[in-house]
Amino acid sequence: MSVLEEVGSVAPAGLVHEDVVRSEDRARVFDARRRGRRWSLAWLLVGPGILAMLGENDGPSMISYATTGATYGLGFFVPFIAVTFGMAIVCQEMCMRVGAVTHRGYGELVLQRYGKVWGWFSAGDLAFTNLVTLIAEFVAIRVGMAYFHLGAPVAAGLGVALVLFTMSGGRYWRWERIVLGLALFNGLFLVSAILTQPHWGAVGHSLSFAPLPGGSFNTVLLLLASTIGATVTPWMIFFQQGASADKGMTAADIGHGRWDTIAGGVLAAIFGIGALIAGAALLTHDGATVQGLAGAGFPAALRAVSGGPAAALFALGLIEAGAVAVLTISASTAYAAGECVGASRSFNNSPRHALIFYIANVGVALLAAAIILIPGAPLLSIALNANVLAAVLLPVALIFVVILANDRALMGRWVNKRSTNVIAIAIIAFVAICGAAYGIDSFLTTVHLI
Amino acid sequence: MNLPTDLQTAPQGWADPGHPAGEDEERIMFLEPHQFVSDRSIAMPPARLSRRARAGLWLLRIFALIVSLMVIYTFIAQLH
Repeated sequence: MSVLEEVGSVAPAGLVHEDVVRSEDRARVFDARRRGRRWSLAWLLVGPGILAMLGENDGPSMISYATTGATYGLGFFVPFIAVTFGMAIVCQEMCMRVGAVTHRGYGELVLQRYGKVWGWFSAGDLAFTNLVTLIAEFVAIRVGMAYFHLGAPVAAGLGVALVLFTMSGGRYWRWERIVLGLALFNGLFLVSAILTQPHWGAVGHSLSFAPLPGGSFNTVLLLLASTIGATVTPWMIFFQQGASADKGMTAADIGHGRWDTIAGGVLAAIFGIGALIAGAALLTHDGATVQGLAGAGFPAALRAVSGGPAAALFALGLIEAGAVAVLTISASTAYAAGECVGASRSFNNSPRHALIFYIANVGVALLAAAIILIPGAPLLSIALNANVLAAVLLPVALIFVVILANDRALMGRWVNKRSTNVIAIAIIAFVAICGAAYGIDSFLTTVHLI
Repeated sequence: MNLPTDLQTAPQGWADPGHPAGEDEERIMFLEPHQFVSDRSIAMPPARLSRRARAGLWLLRIFALIVSLMVIYTFIAQLH
């Protein structure tokens, strides 16, 4: 008997509004499946995977890719980005599967199955990395807006206004479709890359996995760790599992959930490589010294080299990347808050009946927005270190994903295959080693021990 | 028209008076038994981790904390 059967079912003694809204969404899925409408079914079930992946193609990630391109060119990092998104697909598929089978979020499952200590550690890691990452998202919006001569208050206001607007409908479906629509503009980075007129032969050649670039060992480690942190992060785990449950996905939808996750990973890798290629246009123009993010930064440097349209699209891309990530990361914070205190955690509920969920969603965005208004903040450093911190804390979150996905009492026949476990453990080890190598090397350098 | 009144089994939302019980029965066909809010509010029973697994988790946790502190220290030192 599975744990789900053990806890029993008390419904349908009293359907609540959240159930009714979710059942309406599920009715459309049933209808599309019954009538064999494949495209309609795909349209209804797409969402959490693409949002997690394109949400992670966020401001700091795109800045990180562009910095890498400007410092080292294409070389090693084009295939490395593709590999890291392959890693992300493996991790996120597990989250989607656990969410679809158990109908519960990551935080609540860890808390209930493995104890409060581990549950609160996970929530603490998430709250900390989410706040730092959200600050970096607002930084990205600010950098993009600076190109159009708009200041930090506009950037902060736009981010918070978007959070308020998207959650206003009281339906997960509405929230998801708005954010999906916004997320597609992540493709602006690819268009910007094309406008820089790269040497496509060199791009193709870079796929053959050139050796690690030379230069400062610590800088290479920073870029490795931040590239990993730009593709797999703790918030994605909370988000995709929570969103899959909120969307009402079931075990029958796992196949579509997999395609949703793979499509998101492929799109995110292509757009991320676009940012790298656009940044690489600055390689022979002293790109490694682009630091003035508080003023103009990458878009302005790009304008000098590749012209106004490429720069304007890159700036718009940064605004989009930051905005979508503000929405998804705030949502992941809200899911985690609701799960950990046992309160309602659904966009299908109204603010009056899911107060903690909505307060956490808006509150964390407001806090991050307020921080970027502080003058003289080290913006590039915040953006890169946000990714590194995410990479350092990721192994602990990932190991619980693997444990949950192997919990036969929860997952039944949907437990991980042995091959998935081998790949997942290898990913965890790789992420831990890269994060630790940068952390230890930079610490020892800072305290002058090496 | 029978309205759902048993709010004790549905603590995380509000009963939806716009949908009578007959409609409710139709609607529950589209949700799995454990997908209802009332079901999701019931805690899962705790699982037992082996001593070796617990030790491994604590090692990983301590490792992540130490490296995080190193990254934060470096970040702060670079500000000065």
